[in-house]
Amino acid sequence: MKTRALMALAMMRVMALELWRDRAALVMTFLLPPLVFLIFSSVFAGTSGDNLQPKLAVTDLAKTDASRRVAAALLKSPDLRAETAADPAAVRARVKSGQVDVGLVIRADPAAPGRPFLIVADPSRAVAAPLAQARTQQALAAAAPDAALRRSVEALTPALGDLTPVQSARIDAAAAALRAKPPALKEDLFDREQIAGARKGGAVIAYYAGAVMILFALFSAMQGALSLMEERRAGVADRLLAGVAGMGPVVTGKFLFLTAQAVVQAVMIFVVAQAVYGVEALQHFALWLPTTLAAGVCSAGLALGLVSLCRTRDQAQMLSTFVILVLAAIGGSMAPRFLMPAWLQSLGWLTPHAWVIDAYQAVLWRDGGIGAVYKAWIVLAAVGATGLGVAQALSRDPQR
Amino acid sequence: MIPDPILVAEGVVRSYGQRRVLKGVDLTLHPGEIYALLGHNGAGKTTLVRAICGRLRPDAGTVRLNGADPARTPAARAGLGLVPQEIALYANLSVRENIETFAVLAGVPRAAIPAAVRRAMELTRTLERADAPVRTLSGGFQRRANIAAAIVHKPTLLILDEPTVGVDIDAREAVDAVIRDLRDLGVAVLIVTHDLDQAGALADRVGFLRDGVMVLEGEPRALVAEAYGDQMEILVHLSEGLDTAGEIRLAAEGLEPTRRPGVWTRLDAGGYAAAGRLDARLRKLGLAPREIRVREPSLANLFTLVADRKAA
Repeated sequence: MKTRALMALAMMRVMALELWRDRAALVMTFLLPPLVFLIFSSVFAGTSGDNLQPKLAVTDLAKTDASRRVAAALLKSPDLRAETAADPAAVRARVKSGQVDVGLVIRADPAAPGRPFLIVADPSRAVAAPLAQARTQQALAAAAPDAALRRSVEALTPALGDLTPVQSARIDAAAAALRAKPPALKEDLFDREQIAGARKGGAVIAYYAGAVMILFALFSAMQGALSLMEERRAGVADRLLAGVAGMGPVVTGKFLFLTAQAVVQAVMIFVVAQAVYGVEALQHFALWLPTTLAAGVCSAGLALGLVSLCRTRDQAQMLSTFVILVLAAIGGSMAPRFLMPAWLQSLGWLTPHAWVIDAYQAVLWRDGGIGAVYKAWIVLAAVGATGLGVAQALSRDPQR
Repeated sequence: MIPDPILVAEGVVRSYGQRRVLKGVDLTLHPGEIYALLGHNGAGKTTLVRAICGRLRPDAGTVRLNGADPARTPAARAGLGLVPQEIALYANLSVRENIETFAVLAGVPRAAIPAAVRRAMELTRTLERADAPVRTLSGGFQRRANIAAAIVHKPTLLILDEPTVGVDIDAREAVDAVIRDLRDLGVAVLIVTHDLDQAGALADRVGFLRDGVMVLEGEPRALVAEAYGDQMEILVHLSEGLDTAGEIRLAAEGLEPTRRPGVWTRLDAGGYAAAGRLDARLRKLGLAPREIRVREPSLANLFTLVADRKAA
């Protein structure tokens, strides 16, 4: 047993020395993950934060006093990047070409009954349409409160009955007063509460730290596991299979190294996450470490198992590329799972990525205890152990 | 007194599906003996080596390595060293690091590893570049380091698969010297090779494997002498393709076709005089040779002869 452990350690040393002496691979293995994490988190933290500013093209066909005020308010709004367009065709063309995220056609007087606004939406930027709608309502309330008042009265009249001349006169006076001096807009319908301890964009950062960690752990493990193919090609496997120990300790050594490599990659990513975004990995170290180990075990075992199933390096390359991309896409390493359709979110649980991301979020964002993550640990460790078992069994096959 | 054999293979039969690759092969190897296993691709050499290494079990027959079945008893393989045809080393590691690694993987006790590594490098004359990464070494040096990694655990049987393929003459001689030194230390050496010059120069015994059958085995000089006696080999090169009638006429002159197109051969004790007579005879028959060569038979001739007889 001790001898086999020493053999596995010898193989770990080989893998470590091979990586250490290949500086390009070393940089890509340990510096690329935190860099990609920074890029992902910058991109996605921005899109889910408070400073989302869709680009809007506005055209005013009504050209009434109220419509001009609404258009002007939208153009000045700090929550939008609005620009004017000559006509509805120009609005549609800009939305279609992607020059703007959404378009707005003011086709009638906002103070009059009916639907004066037309939103021109791009389905691929679906979130922009409701945002533009909300900003337009806000602009109407702030810049043309008299028009908003008249619309409200119109809406309520069927329920309240026709207004008396006196009431109509009072409404006209109120509208004139509002037009002369619009009140400061108060968001008196809503209060906002941040989740305790949450930092701006923190959930997304924790999400992408986990997403990038498992993405690179699996990618690097696949690359490392390809050394099994190299050893077959170069005759190292023949040499070892002719010896007393066979390939068993070699596979175990690779598994240990790839697990350790994943842990170091995770350390690099979460050090950056903590330093730059304040993700509290160190404060949750007791649960972060087993989660990271489980993710490392999973990626190492899965990679070794998959590569062992292949007979040639080309097969292994193709399979690893396919597996890495598909699992990353479904599992949420490329785009957040909560944006996916429900069936795809369910399918995501078949990938290690979803489990890893969820476990890190549970630990780092939701302050969950062991009860929140033990299932993920079991699933990830089981996948890793199965992959290792497959690799061990196939490495003994003399025909390989 | 002849020492007990290290390797005894008796009646080894092995099939892959319907194809019988080994058809009852016998092979015995003693300590301090170099045996060259010869044969064309597909003759069954690799399968036989795999059976000796315990990587596959024969369908019939037995393999005993150091007195035990290597397929069932891993301990039997402790005395086995394999040098693959490729450079089976880690390119970014130094010679020393590679040999240390393979020492551990071969089960050499931790305390004995430094001495074992040094001995392996001394025997293979790789000590001077011990700390150089393998990828920076010349082809010949890499070949010797390849051997060093296989002998670090002091095997009693060393199997070398094409140990000098792709190296120059100097490097080949250096590898040959290492193999002789190992033989002198009592190691049994089995060389699987197409390099017939090396086999002739090195081997105490050679075996010709053809279609899974050991068709010829013995001491190289004795085999050549037995096959050729006082005869010389006359090689007739014809410039044009022959029709069936021409082939019949050549056969009537005692010539046999070789693997090479247009080249026919005959053994004749008459040497050059016989070659001259044959030339005149062929010209009279309208089969003017482009060239006729006469040469002393060698192991290479014997190999060709054995293989060509099959092809013919």
